[in-house]
Amino acid sequence: MQSNVFNHFYLATCLLCLSLVTGCQSTPANKSAILLAQQGNFESAKQAIRTDYSPNGKSKLLHYLELGMLNHLQGNYERSNRLLTEAQEIIEAQYTISVVESAVALVSGPTYTTYAGKVYHRPLINLYKALNYNALANRAGPNKQQYLDSAMVEMRQLDTYLSNLKSETGGYKKDTEQAPTSDQLINKIYRIIQPIFAPSDLLVNIDYKDDAFAHYMSGMLFERSEELDSARIQYQRALSAFENGFAKQYNLDDKKITAQVYTDLIRVMTKAGGYHNEIRKLKKKFNHAPRGAQLPLLNVVQNVGIGPQRKEFNLLLKADNESKALVMTPILWGTDKERKAQMRWFQMLFADTSIFDMVQNYALGDIGDVAMGALTKRIPLGSLWDDAEDAGLIQALEYGSRISVTYLEPLQQQVKSSEVWVNGQKAAELDKIYSVSLLTLQDALRNANSEIQVALTREIIKAITAQKTINATGLDQSFAGFAKFATSVVNAVTASADLRQWQSLPAQINYVQIPLTKGTYEITLKTHLTSGKVIEQSEAVDVSDSITLWHTRTFLHQSRVTVPESTFL
Amino acid sequence: MKCNKTLLKITPLIVACTLAVSGCSSTKVQRVDANQEVALSDKWNGKDSQLVAEAMINDMLSFPWVNDHLQKEGQRPAIIIQSVRNKSHQHIAVDTFLNDLKRAILRSGQADFVANQDVRLEIREERKDQELNSSLETQNEMGQEQGADYALSGTINSFVDEQGGSRVTFYQVDLRLIDMTTNREVWNGQKKIQKLQKRSRFGF
Repeated sequence: MQSNVFNHFYLATCLLCLSLVTGCQSTPANKSAILLAQQGNFESAKQAIRTDYSPNGKSKLLHYLELGMLNHLQGNYERSNRLLTEAQEIIEAQYTISVVESAVALVSGPTYTTYAGKVYHRPLINLYKALNYNALANRAGPNKQQYLDSAMVEMRQLDTYLSNLKSETGGYKKDTEQAPTSDQLINKIYRIIQPIFAPSDLLVNIDYKDDAFAHYMSGMLFERSEELDSARIQYQRALSAFENGFAKQYNLDDKKITAQVYTDLIRVMTKAGGYHNEIRKLKKKFNHAPRGAQLPLLNVVQNVGIGPQRKEFNLLLKADNESKALVMTPILWGTDKERKAQMRWFQMLFADTSIFDMVQNYALGDIGDVAMGALTKRIPLGSLWDDAEDAGLIQALEYGSRISVTYLEPLQQQVKSSEVWVNGQKAAELDKIYSVSLLTLQDALRNANSEIQVALTREIIKAITAQKTINATGLDQSFAGFAKFATSVVNAVTASADLRQWQSLPAQINYVQIPLTKGTYEITLKTHLTSGKVIEQSEAVDVSDSITLWHTRTFLHQSRVTVPESTFL
Repeated sequence: MKCNKTLLKITPLIVACTLAVSGCSSTKVQRVDANQEVALSDKWNGKDSQLVAEAMINDMLSFPWVNDHLQKEGQRPAIIIQSVRNKSHQHIAVDTFLNDLKRAILRSGQADFVANQDVRLEIREERKDQELNSSLETQNEMGQEQGADYALSGTINSFVDEQGGSRVTFYQVDLRLIDMTTNREVWNGQKKIQKLQKRSRFGF
């Protein structure tokens, strides 16, 4: 008996170690690529993408997105647009979910599916393509109008996409990511693990429902092309979205940004003419008059840093016979910072930290379970225990099962402030207008429940299938134990979370508008980091149109910009 | 029981074979007639460009301005295509559409077509080169170009309505012909195309 206990302990330890080894964090190729680009090594960055992301594989979308962005940063605008167009088409094609692929993913893992990107990627593709076309318009003489028209095509596509998004979400998006399944075993397991997750009301208002920033940029580009009616509509949509939750959701200064959009809206209404009543109402609502003199406007858009990286953390799932519950325990791994982040993510989303959970643990277990609540997640099966036994779940979890899910480290505020200097004089401070970091974090939070549900189901299915196969072979007890351990190891090794994401996006986007008389100016962008470091970027900008847009990428770990990553539009 | 065991043993093999077969794909290329429509999506395609160009030019040449011009000037009118702006939601190869327009005008034989500014500049450079390098008998004189009598311009617009997997795309091409002497609009044509695309949410 003692030997049996020892064997089990030994095997469980081996499983844990193997799980940890396979769950080791490594830097994904696209993160390495953007870090190389940060240092100006664009060719190495592109090679890293080409090596790791095939243009035909399951991660082909990343091949095109990352190369599209790298070419954009390099100033290869035509090439960037061709790559981003491919990316757009891949996303479009993913509208039809492959049942075969979903079935394979259910037993093998989410990385076996074709990566379809995130809901907020499409507007960003349109935006970066529009910026590319505008840059090309400034380079090209006779084809200028054609390029400007192409930029507007992107904005129209963006409008169609956002209109659909709004009509689909209607406030809160339905969970449409899971393919339907008729598998009885899967449905049974879903029912068993249903009560595991954070109460749904804890994760409200984190859906990507609309994109005020995309509407605003769209308005600006339409105004630049003198399509005043379209510009007005886009500014109105931006204003409405900023006011009704977008600014709050993404931690923006809503007063400043709404005042800015209001000013722009009044300007295009005045230019277009025939909106006296609307202008009067707006002025009354915002209670201040916009600038009188209509000087040409320099719009500075600063793409800052690198978006957060999705990381993997592991949980050990076991069945507790005494309390008739499934127990999940986080396996913390990595640096001290990573382990802390993993524990906080677990406690925030899954752990038994609510009063309800504590009472439930108290009722089913003992005082120890209540105290352990912050470190574990218990799924009391109660009357479902017998069903779970019948399904082979309890037996299959004898050696435990590894569950892998994604997490994000807490976002760090690295930028203290950004300033624009015009001809050596400080002109304005930039404000945050878009946060890719928060979009990524909120997306991860929103998907955390469904992700762990699917991961749990997948690992349980794998364990049960292995258990049934071992039973069917009729092996004697000692060999069956070894076979079960071996399959547990295989399952643990193959368990992995889907960490794929468009990594070369900036962490956040800052913006400011400066009225200037026509002429050429030396524009300097000074980015003050919380570490005390100041990053400076300068460029001569010609303000000759009524709307001029200057956009740049500021990498935080480079003191001086040495690559053509800024674009005068 | 034995049957169950056998089934259990061969099931993974069947699944593996099925997946292998479904994973197999080959590239197949075949030649098709350039006039045959191959619509893979609801995007503006070559056939749309060709059909719209032909329909609109036929409409344009059926208006009275052609005969009026012939009676007045005694020769076929000369047209220049100024610009056709793409204001749709799709990237449309406007040059292809313009070439279709030119072909339709030339094929009709009722009007002449004058080269646009870029082409004219290239030709002038060529004539300058002829002055230096060509024999006197084969040189072409400067200042003998035919001026355009009418200017053709227009826009391509589109509207999209989408719900779930269904999408209706409506393209509208508007063209107008302006008398370059009087600025009179002698013709205004319109052609509409509507496409319905349906996509399934789930597939194999």
